[in-house]
Amino acid sequence: MREIIQNIKYPGFILKCDEELILDSGKSLDKVEIAYQTYGKLNLDKSNAILVCHALTGDQFPAEKNPITKKKGWWDLMIGPGKTVDTEKYFVICSNVLGGCVGTTGPNEINPKTNKIYGIDFPTITIQDMVKVQKILIDELKIEKLLSVIGGSMGSMQVLQWAASYPESLRSIISIAGALKHSAQNIAFDEAGRQSIMLDPNWRKGNYLSEDTKPENGLSVARMIAHITYLSDAAFQKKFGRNLQEKKDLSFGFDIDFQVESYLRYQGKSFVDRFDANSYLYMTRAMDYFDVSEQIIKNKKSIISNKIRFLVVSFTSDWLFPTKESRGIVSLLNSIGSLVSSAEVVSDRGHDSFLLDEHQLFKITTGFLKGIKS
Amino acid sequence: MRNDYKIILDIIPSGSKVLDIGCSSGELLSLLNVKDDVQTQGVEINQEKVVTCLENGLDVVQGDINQILEDFPHNQFDYCILTQTIQTVNAPDKLLQLLKKVGKNIIISFDNSNYYKKVFNFSVKGSFDNLLGESHEDQWFNTENIHPCSIKDFTILAKKVGFTINETYDVKKNQRFLFPKAPSNIFCNEVLFNLST
Repeated sequence: MREIIQNIKYPGFILKCDEELILDSGKSLDKVEIAYQTYGKLNLDKSNAILVCHALTGDQFPAEKNPITKKKGWWDLMIGPGKTVDTEKYFVICSNVLGGCVGTTGPNEINPKTNKIYGIDFPTITIQDMVKVQKILIDELKIEKLLSVIGGSMGSMQVLQWAASYPESLRSIISIAGALKHSAQNIAFDEAGRQSIMLDPNWRKGNYLSEDTKPENGLSVARMIAHITYLSDAAFQKKFGRNLQEKKDLSFGFDIDFQVESYLRYQGKSFVDRFDANSYLYMTRAMDYFDVSEQIIKNKKSIISNKIRFLVVSFTSDWLFPTKESRGIVSLLNSIGSLVSSAEVVSDRGHDSFLLDEHQLFKITTGFLKGIKS
Repeated sequence: MRNDYKIILDIIPSGSKVLDIGCSSGELLSLLNVKDDVQTQGVEINQEKVVTCLENGLDVVQGDINQILEDFPHNQFDYCILTQTIQTVNAPDKLLQLLKKVGKNIIISFDNSNYYKKVFNFSVKGSFDNLLGESHEDQWFNTENIHPCSIKDFTILAKKVGFTINETYDVKKNQRFLFPKAPSNIFCNEVLFNLST
């Protein structure tokens, strides 16, 4: 039994599932709930649906105003009426990922078996598990073939996983700032972030929610580390240089002297308000485990017979998911004989470019989507 | 339609997998796609041209010919096409070796530097510029055509790399040469080679 209800806590919808969800780890989850939001209208033959996959700290509100933060959605520049992903033409679906903290089953939700918050008892999940849950949602919406699945960063991982797992349900794939697998350097950054959280005394072995506290310092340092990897040397230099923060002289102490310090601390602090620390652990782990090449090769017949078209986009200054990784995706797709396009956008704004006002990214994506229709 | 495109469309049988290297805005790819069951892939360095290809539903990888072919798997394409490009790359010999791995058949066209008008101009005017290309903006110091070659030059290299020369065409005249293996013809301005590995 599955049912879709209006989401009371957050605007949008919740799909409630009754069946047991078996995970890659061998463990299972009961009564999974998927929080999602839609934009635009599904046409009569259900051929205009685009699934948008969010990145590590995203949510199911890419477009319009985010009802929780009251700020613009994380991909509002990309999605909306008349924009690249035009909601007057396409029906856009975006769900909070499994393990997330904005309404979909995750470590900060109640375990129906114990009636207690999951915390660290939540099973380890993978990108494939996240996609499995998205497929349930798409099936429930009775959409046989998605026009496209689009995502950047961790969203790109889900996108590639879709091609590997459910090629029969796709017409195209758009991978932005992504990779076939998480690199050793990226796993290292994730580990530094996780250690920062877990070494915070307020983490309480993952039970902080039931003990009414939060590992705020740990999570904010994790965010600071990660945020550095999202920008670039040039972006930092351009934004801050060595400018001092509201002072003329150095303090000769460890207070904030430089603007860049103030900025990073602000990024860390504001993140704590909107994100769950355990969710951060589970989702970074899912990214670490991601390595999709073999599955794509295994499923190549179906990828080719379904004539899935791939678009792979990278950015020149992205050192977290550099162009080299995107070239790896293109090379693999070529080797299995699939239909692949790629482009490298010139930008000095690092990995974050995929979320920013990058005119060429919009132009390339618009062109590709137009080509699918024709 | 450009003469070289006409010749290429005649050469490529239906059901082929084709890689067009330096595909520009995809004119040739679109023509090939109309043929039965031809699967095409393009490579182009200019992003605006890549976007035009995408809008027309073509599959195109953005990249520099000097590097990108190394990313392509071996023996993946029935035909690799390189029109008016070989003379612009850093190392034509290395490119030919890579092409030999990537494709089963290779179609290459370029301007013959031994064309009598060019040779005459060079002899009389004493300037290298006229040898380099059609465009008047091309001068020896700024031209993209950094490796001009004659039909004979190319024939020697193609054989050295291990290609079999199946056919050669005079593009401007839209004519196939009777003796494909020795077409050192000073009356041919633009030549097209159909090679196999």
